[in-house]
Amino acid sequence: MTDPGANGDRRHIHPESGILSGGASEQRVQRPEPDAPTEPWTELPTANLDDPTYYDRPLLKEAVWISAVPVYFWAGGASGAAATLAAVAQIADRDGLDGLIKRARWVAAAGGAAGTALLIVDLGKPSRFANMLRVFRPSSPMSVGSWVLAGAAPLAAGSAVLHDAGALGGVADAAGLAIGVLGMPLAGYTSVLLSNTAVPLWQEVRRTLPALFLSSAVISAASVLQMFDLDERELDIVRRYGTAGKVADLVASQAVRRNASRIHQVGSPLHAGLSGALWKASEALIAASLALSMVPGNRGRGRRVVEGLLGTAGSLAMRFAVFHAGKASSRDPRATFRHQRGGHGGTEATGRAAVTGPEDLRAVATRDERTPGRTAVS
Amino acid sequence: MAECHPVGFQWVMEAKERGATVIHVDPRFTRTSAMADLHVPIRAGTDIAFLGGIVRHIIENNRYFRDYVVQYTNAPVIVDEEFRDTEDLDGLFSGWDSEQGGYRVKSWQYRNAPVEGSAGDVEMVHEQGQGQAGEGQSSQPSFAEERDETLEDPRCIFQITRRHFSRYTPEMVEEICGIPKEMFLKVAEALCDNSGRERTSAFVYSVGWTQHSKGAQYIRTASIIQLLLGNIGRPGGGIMALRGHASIQGSTDIPTLYDLLPGYMSMPKAKHDQTFAKYLENNTGASGWWTELPKYITSTLKAWFGRAAGPGNDFCYGYLPRTSGDHSHMTTVADMADGNLTGYFVLGQNPSVGSVHGALQRKGLRELQWLVIRDFAPNETAEFWKDAPEIRRGEVRPEDIATEVFFFPAAAHTEKDGSFTNTQRLVQWHWKAVEPPGDCRSDLWFMYHLGLRLKALYADSLESRDLPIKNLTWEYPTEGEHQEPNADAVLAEIHGFTVEDGEPVSGYLDLKDDGSTACGCWLYSGIFKGGVNQAARRKPGSQQSWVAPEWAWAWPSNRRIMYNRASADPEGNPWSDRKKYVWWDAEQGKWTGEDVPDFIEDRPPSYRPKRGARGLDTISGIDPFIRQADGKGWIYVPSGLMDGPLPTHYEPQESVLENPLYGQQCNPARFEYERKDNPYHRAHDDPRFPYVITTYRLTEHHTAGGMSRWLSWLSELMPEMFCEVSPELAEERGLHNGEWATITTARAEIEARVLVTRRIRPLRMGKGGKRLVHQIGLPYHWGSKGLVTGDAANELVSMLADPNVSIQETKALTGTIAPGRRSRMRRVVTSGPLVEELPEGSGAPRDLPAVGARPRGKHGLEAPKEKEGEQA
Amino acid sequence: MSAPTAQRGFFTDTTVCIGCKACEVACKEWNQLPDDGFVFTGMSYDNTATLGASTWRHVAFVERPVAFGNQVTADGQFSWLMMSDVCKHCQRAGCLENCPTGAIVRTEFDTVYVQPDICNGCGYCVVGCPFGVIDRREDDGRAWKCTLCYDRLKGDMEPACAKACPTDSIQFGDLLELRRRAEERVARLHERGLRDAYLYGVDEANQPGTEGLNAFFLLVDRPEVYNLPPDPVAPAKKAKEAWLSMAAAALGMAAAAVAAVLSGRGTGR
Ligand SMILES: Nc1nc2c(c(=O)[nH]1)N[C@H]1C(S)=C(S)[C@@H](COP(=O)(O)OP(=O)(O)OC[C@H]3O[C@@H](n4cnc5c(=O)[nH]c(N)nc54)[C@H](O)[C@@H]3O)O[C@H]1N2
Ligand SMILES: Nc1nc2c(c(=O)[nH]1)N[C@H]1C(S)=C(S)[C@@H](COP(=O)(O)OP(=O)(O)OC[C@H]3O[C@@H](n4cnc5c(=O)[nH]c(N)nc54)[C@H](O)[C@@H]3O)O[C@H]1N2
Ligand code: SF4
Ligand code: SF4
Ligand code: SF4
Ligand code: SF4
Ligand code: SF4
Ligand SMILES: [Mo]
Repeated sequence: MTDPGANGDRRHIHPESGILSGGASEQRVQRPEPDAPTEPWTELPTANLDDPTYYDRPLLKEAVWISAVPVYFWAGGASGAAATLAAVAQIADRDGLDGLIKRARWVAAAGGAAGTALLIVDLGKPSRFANMLRVFRPSSPMSVGSWVLAGAAPLAAGSAVLHDAGALGGVADAAGLAIGVLGMPLAGYTSVLLSNTAVPLWQEVRRTLPALFLSSAVISAASVLQMFDLDERELDIVRRYGTAGKVADLVASQAVRRNASRIHQVGSPLHAGLSGALWKASEALIAASLALSMVPGNRGRGRRVVEGLLGTAGSLAMRFAVFHAGKASSRDPRATFRHQRGGHGGTEATGRAAVTGPEDLRAVATRDERTPGRTAVS
Repeated sequence: MAECHPVGFQWVMEAKERGATVIHVDPRFTRTSAMADLHVPIRAGTDIAFLGGIVRHIIENNRYFRDYVVQYTNAPVIVDEEFRDTEDLDGLFSGWDSEQGGYRVKSWQYRNAPVEGSAGDVEMVHEQGQGQAGEGQSSQPSFAEERDETLEDPRCIFQITRRHFSRYTPEMVEEICGIPKEMFLKVAEALCDNSGRERTSAFVYSVGWTQHSKGAQYIRTASIIQLLLGNIGRPGGGIMALRGHASIQGSTDIPTLYDLLPGYMSMPKAKHDQTFAKYLENNTGASGWWTELPKYITSTLKAWFGRAAGPGNDFCYGYLPRTSGDHSHMTTVADMADGNLTGYFVLGQNPSVGSVHGALQRKGLRELQWLVIRDFAPNETAEFWKDAPEIRRGEVRPEDIATEVFFFPAAAHTEKDGSFTNTQRLVQWHWKAVEPPGDCRSDLWFMYHLGLRLKALYADSLESRDLPIKNLTWEYPTEGEHQEPNADAVLAEIHGFTVEDGEPVSGYLDLKDDGSTACGCWLYSGIFKGGVNQAARRKPGSQQSWVAPEWAWAWPSNRRIMYNRASADPEGNPWSDRKKYVWWDAEQGKWTGEDVPDFIEDRPPSYRPKRGARGLDTISGIDPFIRQADGKGWIYVPSGLMDGPLPTHYEPQESVLENPLYGQQCNPARFEYERKDNPYHRAHDDPRFPYVITTYRLTEHHTAGGMSRWLSWLSELMPEMFCEVSPELAEERGLHNGEWATITTARAEIEARVLVTRRIRPLRMGKGGKRLVHQIGLPYHWGSKGLVTGDAANELVSMLADPNVSIQETKALTGTIAPGRRSRMRRVVTSGPLVEELPEGSGAPRDLPAVGARPRGKHGLEAPKEKEGEQA
Repeated sequence: MSAPTAQRGFFTDTTVCIGCKACEVACKEWNQLPDDGFVFTGMSYDNTATLGASTWRHVAFVERPVAFGNQVTADGQFSWLMMSDVCKHCQRAGCLENCPTGAIVRTEFDTVYVQPDICNGCGYCVVGCPFGVIDRREDDGRAWKCTLCYDRLKGDMEPACAKACPTDSIQFGDLLELRRRAEERVARLHERGLRDAYLYGVDEANQPGTEGLNAFFLLVDRPEVYNLPPDPVAPAKKAKEAWLSMAAAALGMAAAAVAAVLSGRGTGR
């Protein structure tokens, strides 16, 4: 590789002979972005028709998001679950649970602020977040979520800041109730956001993932709250909230995995690789946190912190596991092929079969009789 | 064709849609094969055996188009008794001169009627001092030949041809080419079934057929098939030579070739054409169209030397340079390497990559005093002195090279007006789209201003040798800031005009031999008819007849199918309604039809020349091939070819097989460059080089890369030099897809990525199919400069020339391959022998003992003995 | 005769594609796209490998161990398929439906177009596309894909790729007309013995998951062979289930909060 081009942008348009005005002229280019594999294909380049892929090249584009995004999932979850808890507590016993409410509002506010910041980090600059609110598009969970976040984050901040503001306490309480409602989608929409993609794993677990994300949100909120100095009653509430979350999480994670693994290739990232390891770690951490919370005896701060950290780590690990599993799923063309051949593609959504090949090779999950050895799906 | 002429290939696809059967014969399965009905893999270098097999099939099974063959070809003509075929002499024809090397064509002549070659190349025979056939011929118009229209006389061309190919059986085809018998028969039958009155078949070829030591004879074999099947001069028939660079056809017509003047007139030869009278005597046809030569050459001289040219001074014929021998590319470079040239112009060429034996090319460049190169970017040739394998190896140091290099940036075709002549002789005008940037100038600009400067330089000279420059007409209007000459004005001069009033002539029929007309190229006369640039016509096909005569302009005289008189039967009626094209309209008394008839317009089919007829009167009403001396299609070529009147299968210079047909292994008339720095492998079965190598192009790149390797959008499509091998060869040599391999010949070693593919099949051949032959495919587009770089395939190839057209044998050689990046970039020219030399004489000979001497030293200049082929 | 509509699209007939890549280059040239680096892939003659932010047309090369129709080769069981891939301009476009900013719009030609000045690089379209077409360019930060030559269509010109295609493998035009031509073509190929020819994504009935593609294809082997999904679906078609599950789970979370708070009161002081 030598000279990157006349204007250094790999377009090879000599400034004297042409102006940049084409459909991609605004594309800023510094480095080449090879979509091609860095290592050449070293097998015989002949398609294997028993299990066809295109040189094992990914069919889908992997999510371009950075790690800020799973952290955002976590922060948004914590924020939402804390907000909901605060609202319920507010309704049940505004004064008796004031300490809990205040801290939960702060957690919700911090989660909302951190979430917004994380999104901006992912997008690159703040103005880009503003673009999210250009339109409201119900078909896009990201659009819905952005509006929820845009509503919830300032309300949560308000409810927290104004919590002790005397005269304005009423405003804070109103905001507290509002975020209690918004907290539910805030904690859960990210699961829909992931499911509403072409990534076979994410799409496949659309019915089970919300439960996991919300349980995990509860764990996240409870784990953080747990580490504060709360009174006994409040601590009990938080612990019960957390325990419910952990139990639900462990059940939901089984459900998600079973859901995904109905088609082996789809579920495999939850079993193997980085995402599989994170997944297992998450389950172990949550289980450990749960077990620790079950051990009777001293409820001192130290133990609460350990429990909380385990829960936090567990819920974070789950977000990363799901995130990376989705990326792995996008990279694996067979995941998509088998998912759809297994009847989980458009057919499932519409109840009508697509034309999926030459007349005699259309079969979904059957062997083709005409040409022995050519299998529609293996 | 899909690879190299993708735009033209749309018509093949269209024909296929209409039911045509597409057959692709190629060692490799290419993008063309992917679209073909039948792909026939062949061992590179063996097509004459394959096509010869088809000739035999046609004859033995009586599948030829008898009426056409009898009336329109020379099949019935009786050949001189002296003629001996390769069947009689084990691979040699009669007439071999074992002392000087080369054939004397006397014995190849028609009985009692010697003929000359076509297209002004008669004196090619003189050149070799074998001009017996040609000399004094003018008194013997060739229609006097004896004929046997029953085609049964054993000495008639039909029978000679039958005997010549009698051993080219399907079994023999299989043995030589590796094409299974059934597959061969499929092709032969498909061709026969699709030819005749109602149907026609076409051949399309390009350099897969030409770049061989017998390249011209490949095409000849196809011509024989097409003549036997009646497929020439008829719609849907023909042999289409797909050309190379955008206007390479144009630069053959108005040639960049050393031995031709515009319109296929001969370049004067120093030895034979001393005077204008001699030139005319030697080159004017005794019969047929070439009887018109005096008009053409006179008009060209008038165009060039204007007022200075007159009958009193032979129209300045004396100003023309003379050829003193072979000045073809390889010979010139070999000579250059021996220090015999001072300067060299490289205009739009990259010989360091594109020409064979790159290291020897560069050795030549190192010996020059100056080198002028015009291109878009300083390519490997412009920078041979600082960026080459031998320089990286430290064997040559830039500071030791004295050559002064002048690099001029060239304007691209989009930056200038001009014309492209394409494969079907269609001249299409193109217009400047943008101004060339910076110092870039068109080649027309360069030549014109160089001419002006030379004229200024010699303006005061009193030397008569400077008169050609002083008297050259050089008046073209210029325009713009840079004084760009007007290309239309050049075209108008090519078209021709009446000297007196400067008015355009109407075509070449107007040209005179008395100096009253001037014409740059008679063949293109008509292109500026009525003062209008006909090549610029752009009437869409939908608005005119299916022949589309108003789209651009084709030579000669806008004819779209040459020799189209043959589309009608001898009586002048179409052979069939389905294939009607041009016919005789008895009422109007003239030829008419879809196209401009390629015949004398009012010559009735019944016309027969009288004895003693002269000029165009010698052309009978049933002589469709009007540019041949006898008006017939030549199945047998009595003169004009250096290597035989009939095509014969010879093995490539470097082969894997002994010639199963003859004791003569290779083309006896091939031109070898016997130099230490140009070693050849054994004739066959060289244990060091067991594989066949062939070289070719990819759609994504262009030739030596000057127009593609510098462009990122093309470079990314084919970013690295690679070789193509079969899975079987990969297994045998331990090669892996995507990894590296080193390919070696006696000339060089190069490295390439490996593409293992089932598109290349090992072929079974030899006696009883016992030999499994592996072929290695190498694209030749890469070099050391540009955006994507890689080793140049041409480093591997030796210098060796076909005797007729001096083309190199780049399509069939031998070599070996090993896994890994083992190449040390060695070159025999500078590194000494690369491989262990085999004991002298241990290989089988290429020639029969009877051959004795072979042609050598055609170049007029002699190298000092001690310098020839020396090792640096 | 169907009434002309403003629906424009591509019918890509892979049986006449000669793999010349003129489309790929014409697209880059017209749209002034950069190269993607110079990488040798070893994947037959395909070195650009895939569609992406700066490759909007991509020609796939498949060396296949079965014969192509009645084609005769020495190998017997071998063929080489070429297919020029592009954004499908789906009737239900996952990218468009996912785009939170409204950067992706459906144009007056019924094509799917990304407005670079609005895109904020959120990347949600990237995972929304069931064909792996649209991608975000890292050093630019925005998502890019085939515009179906929106600028040319506005000037009443054919898209650059279709214009450059020598064999008319890429046919551009009115969608209904293209569909008609495509059905005819398949019928003709079947007649000639190429039984494997079929249309991919030609309309709603053919591919309910996307409700049809404005850029549809004639293929001769299963979609997987060309790296196309066999039964793609616009993700939003399944969104309802996800939203309902989320709602249920969110209620569960609220219930957990209620339970945690209330049961605390019971056991507490
Ligand atoms: N894209 C592209 N187009 C081009 C060019 C280019 O570089 N790139 N170059 C232009 C030029 S200058 C030219 S001359 C033409 C050349 O056009 P082509 O002649 O079509 O080009 P090649 O690829 O050199 O050779 C054609 C085929 O000949 C095969 N072949 C090799 N040996 C033999 C043999 O002995 N017998 C037979 N039957 N086939 C054999 C090779 O495998 C190859 O597939 O293309 C022109 N067009
Ligand atoms: N091994 C092997 N060798 C071969 C062949 C083969 O098949 N195999 N094929 C042979 C054939 S057929 C050919 S034609 C040759 C080609 O070999 P070359 O002619 O040496 O190679 P090109 O790269 O075509 O060189 C043409 C140059 O002209 C420049 N150019 C383009 N337009 C203009 C213009 O308007 N003016 C000027 N001044 N320059 C311009 C281009 O940038 C380019 O560098 O290679 C031959 N060599
Ligand atoms: S590059 Fe030019 S000459 Fe070659 S196929 Fe394309 S249009 Fe024809
Ligand atoms: S193919 Fe992908 S990018 Fe193109 S319109 Fe459909 S969803 Fe969008
Ligand atoms: S990256 Fe741009 S085009 Fe894609 S979804 Fe986000 S805003 Fe829309
Ligand atoms: S329609 Fe335009 S943008 Fe789309 S692939 Fe073709 S040339 Fe490229
Ligand atoms: S331009 Fe046409 S024939 Fe060439 S690769 Fe593209 S689709 Fe195929
Ligand atoms: Mo060429």
